[in-house]
Amino acid sequence: MSATEVDILLVDDSQEDVDLTLHALRTENLANRVFVARDGEEALEFLFCSGPYAHRSFDHPPKLVLLDLKLPKVDGMEVLERVKSDVRTRIVPVVLMTSSREERDLVRGYDLGVNSYLQKPVDFDEFRKMVKLLGLYWLVTNRPPLANGKSTTAKQGS
Amino acid sequence: MSSAGTKLEIQVAAEPQPKLRALLVEDNEVDAELMSRALRKEGFDVCIAVVQTAVEFRQRVKEESPDIILADYNLGDWRGVEAVEILHGESLDIPLIIVTGALGDVNAVECIKQGATDYVLKDGLARLPEAIRRALREKHERHLRHQVEEDLARKVDELARSNADLEQFAYIASHDLQEPLRMVAAYTQLLSERYTGKLDENADKFLGYASEGALRMQVLVKDLLAFSRVGRNCPPRDNIDCNAVMKEVLQSLASAIQESGAVVNCAELPTVWADHTQMTQVFQNLIGNAIKFREKAPPIVSIEVEKAEQHWLFSVKDNGIGIAPEYAENIFVAFQRLHARSEYPGNGIGLAIVKKIIEPYGGKIWVESQAGAGSTFKFTLPLRGANAPEGARP
Amino acid sequence: MKSIPHLLVVDDNPADVILVREALAGSVHRSRIHSVEDGVEAMAFLNRKEKHANAIRPDLVILDLNLPKKAGLAVLAAMKAGPELRRIPVVIFSTSRLSEDIVRSYELGGNCYVNKPGNLDEFFSAMKAIEEFWFGTASLPRQGE
Repeated sequence: MSATEVDILLVDDSQEDVDLTLHALRTENLANRVFVARDGEEALEFLFCSGPYAHRSFDHPPKLVLLDLKLPKVDGMEVLERVKSDVRTRIVPVVLMTSSREERDLVRGYDLGVNSYLQKPVDFDEFRKMVKLLGLYWLVTNRPPLANGKSTTAKQGS
Repeated sequence: MSSAGTKLEIQVAAEPQPKLRALLVEDNEVDAELMSRALRKEGFDVCIAVVQTAVEFRQRVKEESPDIILADYNLGDWRGVEAVEILHGESLDIPLIIVTGALGDVNAVECIKQGATDYVLKDGLARLPEAIRRALREKHERHLRHQVEEDLARKVDELARSNADLEQFAYIASHDLQEPLRMVAAYTQLLSERYTGKLDENADKFLGYASEGALRMQVLVKDLLAFSRVGRNCPPRDNIDCNAVMKEVLQSLASAIQESGAVVNCAELPTVWADHTQMTQVFQNLIGNAIKFREKAPPIVSIEVEKAEQHWLFSVKDNGIGIAPEYAENIFVAFQRLHARSEYPGNGIGLAIVKKIIEPYGGKIWVESQAGAGSTFKFTLPLRGANAPEGARP
Repeated sequence: MKSIPHLLVVDDNPADVILVREALAGSVHRSRIHSVEDGVEAMAFLNRKEKHANAIRPDLVILDLNLPKKAGLAVLAAMKAGPELRRIPVVIFSTSRLSEDIVRSYELGGNCYVNKPGNLDEFFSAMKAIEEFWFGTASLPRQGE
């Protein structure tokens, strides 16, 4: 799969959750270009076009990042902070999707500029429904920032 | 032996000629006199000034504005042909004839190459008057041509500016119309939905008409906007793989294709030097039309391409309702529709947009068709590097 | 136990505010809709100043870009700069399809960008989808009174 044209970057180390998510996205025909990263480090390399993803370009970010909080190597909150504090990546929509019910995680997420925060339901059907709704909202209702692959730096002159 | 700017004014009672102002660059008095005589003998009403040095020449040529310069080749510490440099430096377009003693053919050609208009040998001064006349004639023609070119350039400029103004107007008007139209469309529809059946029968009808009219206006304005947008940007060109474009187009026409049971056969397409979005519009409009204007049978659409010496020739063939030859040109005019709105939807802008895209690329578009016998739309796109305008507009 | 969600619509076109209310009328979320007409009033409402001293903190802001007195993007920037206001999700809801506007909105921290549809049915669907996502699917920080 071409790693350049990715619609959704799914960052989750739980195989079960990844499967459920992909399945739900597939029913809405949204699963065509999903890239799965298993830990925070891989997610960062992907988004910052480094390491094994050095061939990627900042001009073609994913339209949506679905980010779990509890991740190996680098946790979700730190990934969020790094992405939202760098001018090259801050415009990428990031949705935290976590089993955490901690109010402070929620608050911290929005403080760091997460685009939205969702709490994973325990029930499989509810989980699938949530993924469907969020997929439709972020990829159909919402306009992602770089639909044409034009970089922000090009715009700064205007 | 010098003459520091001898000025002679002699009226000759020969046949009246226009007054000729000549500047002689000559360090030999005798030669200068010989030249003057040769000119007067021919009947030139000539006013002659003579200079010797480069400095004098530069000064006098600016002061006197001569019609012709006659310069000796050998002028002691400079050469007559260097006077051409001085003329260029002062941006003066005055014919300069080298009049000289023995001058090899090689040197003569060199003089012409360096900008002298002509050369004449001192022992062949009989040739001088004709050389002068010819030089003056050529200058006159050059001047006329320059005038014509300037006029033309100015007119082209005005026309381009006027066109740009009109396009800007169309764009701004259609863009600004969208917002109030949105209000009218939304609220007539809301009224229609809320109050149908609640007021009298006429009210229902009136509301219906208003709502329909507003919706049609919205589509019309959107089309107008799309049409006027084509002229506005000169998108940068790139190598566009038409197969990739076709894939996108077929995807966006997927539901129309499915509904109509259309079969689309597409040959292997080339890479062209164009803009991706514009090529998408071209194929989308042509194939969309092929599907829309169908007979009862499911549409069969074939896309082919041929390579000619200077261009690609694309063709989009369908088995639809066809077009009578007398309308073949009309259909490319904006908002020209051949059928009632109830028969086929649309505003008649699709082909106008395609034409507006293809022609600035240096291509042509036309249709081969008979009513009831399907249509083949053909368009050309110049090969990159072929004689084609680079970029769409000045 | 879900409390009534509060929505602040910032739009200078009262006709569009009515359309928002119409779209959400009868929805299960029973959102309370507040509206202001310009950017300055938006900030006064959010900061509980002057006549808005008793304003409630909204759970979601629907923000148009083309506003008098203080532009939409300026309101967005001001919100995302404040320690508490930054947590309120902002949905840019605009007729503008210019990529500069979209990119700039994300750069300033706008949570999402939805084109205001020209068609009534699509307007209603979009508005309902926005409400359903933010009040029915996403988790929002408690705003408190």
